[in-house]
Amino acid sequence: MKIPIKGYVLLVITTILIYLLDHPLGALPAIGRLLDPVNGCLANAEPVNKDFTADLKLPAVKGGATVWFDNRLVPHIHATNDHDLYFMEGYIHASFRLWQMDMETRAAAGRVSEVVGDKALAFDRKQRYKGMGYAAENSLRAMEADPRTKLVMDAYTEGINAYIATLNYRNYPFEYKLMGFAPEPYTNLKISLLLKYMADDLTGSTDDIALTYLRDILPKDELELLFPDRIQGSKPVIPEGTVFDKPSLTIPSAPADSVAFPHFAPADFGEPKVDGKGSNNWILSGSRTASGAPILCNDPHLALNLPSLWYEAQLQAPGINVYGASLPGTPGVVIGFNDSLTWGFTNNYRDVKDFYLIKEVEGNKNKYWFAGKQVYYTKRVEVIKVKGKPDIVDTINYTLHGPVTYAEQNAKAGGLRKPLAMCWMGHRASNEMLAIYLLNKAGSYNEFVNAILHFECPAQNMGYADRQGNIAIWGQGQFVNKWKDQGKYVMNGSDSATLWKELIPMRENPHALNPAQGYLCGANQINTDTTYPYNYNGAGWVNLRSWRINNLLKDRQKATVKDMMEMQQDTYSELAAGTLTCFLKKVDSLLSPEERKYADILKGWDYRLSSESEAASIFQIWWYFFNKDAYVLRFYKVPGQFLPLQERTMQLLQSDELLRFIDPPRSEKVTLNDILNPPVWIFKMPKRSLVEAIDSVTKLKSIIGAEWYKVKNTTISHLTKLPALSYDHIKIGGWGNTINAAKENHGPSWRMVVQMGKEIEAYGVYPGGQSGNPGSKYYASFLDDWAGGKYYRLDFMPNSASQNDSLIKYTWTIR
Amino acid sequence: MKFLLSIILIALLSAGAEFILPWWSCAVVCFLVALFAKQGGGKAFLMGFLSVGIFWLVAALMRDIPNEHILSSRMAALFKLPNYWMFIIVTVFIGGLVGGLSAWVGATLRPKTPNTSR
Repeated sequence: MKIPIKGYVLLVITTILIYLLDHPLGALPAIGRLLDPVNGCLANAEPVNKDFTADLKLPAVKGGATVWFDNRLVPHIHATNDHDLYFMEGYIHASFRLWQMDMETRAAAGRVSEVVGDKALAFDRKQRYKGMGYAAENSLRAMEADPRTKLVMDAYTEGINAYIATLNYRNYPFEYKLMGFAPEPYTNLKISLLLKYMADDLTGSTDDIALTYLRDILPKDELELLFPDRIQGSKPVIPEGTVFDKPSLTIPSAPADSVAFPHFAPADFGEPKVDGKGSNNWILSGSRTASGAPILCNDPHLALNLPSLWYEAQLQAPGINVYGASLPGTPGVVIGFNDSLTWGFTNNYRDVKDFYLIKEVEGNKNKYWFAGKQVYYTKRVEVIKVKGKPDIVDTINYTLHGPVTYAEQNAKAGGLRKPLAMCWMGHRASNEMLAIYLLNKAGSYNEFVNAILHFECPAQNMGYADRQGNIAIWGQGQFVNKWKDQGKYVMNGSDSATLWKELIPMRENPHALNPAQGYLCGANQINTDTTYPYNYNGAGWVNLRSWRINNLLKDRQKATVKDMMEMQQDTYSELAAGTLTCFLKKVDSLLSPEERKYADILKGWDYRLSSESEAASIFQIWWYFFNKDAYVLRFYKVPGQFLPLQERTMQLLQSDELLRFIDPPRSEKVTLNDILNPPVWIFKMPKRSLVEAIDSVTKLKSIIGAEWYKVKNTTISHLTKLPALSYDHIKIGGWGNTINAAKENHGPSWRMVVQMGKEIEAYGVYPGGQSGNPGSKYYASFLDDWAGGKYYRLDFMPNSASQNDSLIKYTWTIR
Repeated sequence: MKFLLSIILIALLSAGAEFILPWWSCAVVCFLVALFAKQGGGKAFLMGFLSVGIFWLVAALMRDIPNEHILSSRMAALFKLPNYWMFIIVTVFIGGLVGGLSAWVGATLRPKTPNTSR
């Protein structure tokens, strides 16, 4: 009995190899587990002709249920009570989108490091310092205190967990295998977290800090010229001339400037900037449509990812029959229509996030100054689990304004190197779930209004149309009765005069019902004209899209759904039209023959940012350099390179007022002669931007081509950002300044056109697919049609336990 | 003939094992079969390599063909491989390697009685 030494050596080598293949190595997943064709990734290779038909035994579904999947794999769920309905919605969301729900709620809570390691630590800490968990816990209490939402959420979570209970490694969603972690039980808190994630996404950007800086460095008249509260020519969401109710609250007067606002030195600042999210929502009354029925059009512009944020679904039970875009991870339908009415959302951008400078008590880390007294912080301990590393413990100080967001990484990532507390409407306990629940069931305008009164944050412009022919829009959200400019700049946090005080009764929010003009348009512009009694300021209002929509609708008669679909694809740039003529005239005499060639391309252009347009590329690149050259020397230190709005720059270019801001090129000195005579460099500056643009376009041509879609590179990126699971260089036109606002990774996330006639005619499309599985043919099946401007007729089935519908492909019977 | 039977035996046992146990159960199967099949190390390696390789190849194709290579193409892109069949080849190679080595270990750890070491 002899075993050669070679045997032991081989045994050790083989064991090590298997061990290595069974464990992740650095960024590499566990290769053996992943490649194993029985249990690994290939187990997620879904047959293209998979039959989804199923008989499910789900004892929790007491009344039984049926789910019909149509040819696009959209589920139409029929249940006999609310519990069973939302249970099934949870079960189905989990069946098709579980990993995404898991990741998004982790992202909301700042728990990404737990599964990807310390590369996500900075992100997680940012989420914690914003108070995301605090906000979600507050709202969870409000949502669970209401028996209606408690029932909906419990049922929904139960449904998700019932699905998770059926899983073993082999049928885990693909990404769990790739990233090497396992699904965890869903909770009602996660629903709340996801809603706060959306709230943060939509009220996240703030100009307060940049404006505070600008306010101190710019003369008052220049500040107003560059950053006016209201852009001239803006067309508010609530049409001008709408009569507002008398305010029930007294409008507070502003405290003395010296009390209200602190001042900062340039050295107090760091850097960057996030771009706003925009959306379009327009509604035509029957007087302007060919059919005589109102049409509502909505395309919320959000991050474009795979799996998509949205999941199409129809929900049926006694008292509810609703179809639209649901948000996997939360119950109900967020944007859509039911038997009686349709609604859409665009971001409202009234400022609901303010910052306060905290005066720390010197030598005592536990206290800060407020109203002449020392006050203790409330401490909240955040434990961040990090994969493969010890836990990180952060203690976050909460003042009576909100959490102190200042931390080491905040100082790096952006803004002010001083302790700032954030006061955010999203931190407050609110029950948007109830708004969605009631909205899904609403049968009339009054019920619509009663539903949305529960929608506090993120504030939305909510468009409405019904089968009675009514159209409406509400600038909806919970707002504070502010004094003028309250919260426009960073405020002094140690004085009680700057506190948020009374809340404006939500029924007094600006709204318009059946306006004389026969249409309504919300595209993230200012909410009202100057007659609205309460003070408010914006946090991201823009005008270019609203101008275009108003121009297209103001003389529009006999509009059809097809016209409206075409309008959602519109790529005409008001910005290009408003700047180019004026600019080309200014530089005309300075051009070389080569430059003139490009100038002629721009002159002959129709101002449409269509996908193959080369002129569009030249324009967008020129505009980038033009802004840079016009402002950069003066403004490069502004936090986030916060620049005037593009439309404002356009107006200043048209009026020649821009010239006073243009600094000389570094190589040129300003001489006395320059000041006495029209300085030469002022006229050279605009031309320089054209030369720079031509240079870039020439280079691009030789690398990827100068067609606009190649230059802008709209990418629908998988949530992991892995190119193998993403789609880039999507052939689509448009940009943020056009109705079809397809940017690099933001754009129309759900296009919907609904005509509320006797028969409901609804169309929709989103850039993704119903399945979140990268191994499914339904993963990105709508992408090409979305890019090409095509729509699907949404199959709205009658509220019935049996259906006779030729589009039904698979049926789930639940007993 | 015995060699061929061993290959079929391992492939079937591995398939059964992997349906209820982790992926590396195929290695245990190779090891055990090689422990009892009287053959040299080189032949054992070939046996293990072929049996797990064939099993993984068949299993992969059974998943990949009805899927029309959607997932295998993505995996190939993920690992910077030129196309989906390269991904299948890498899969089969890794499975084969694990099977081959395990069988080899089994063969060399087999107690050498005078009968067999002849």
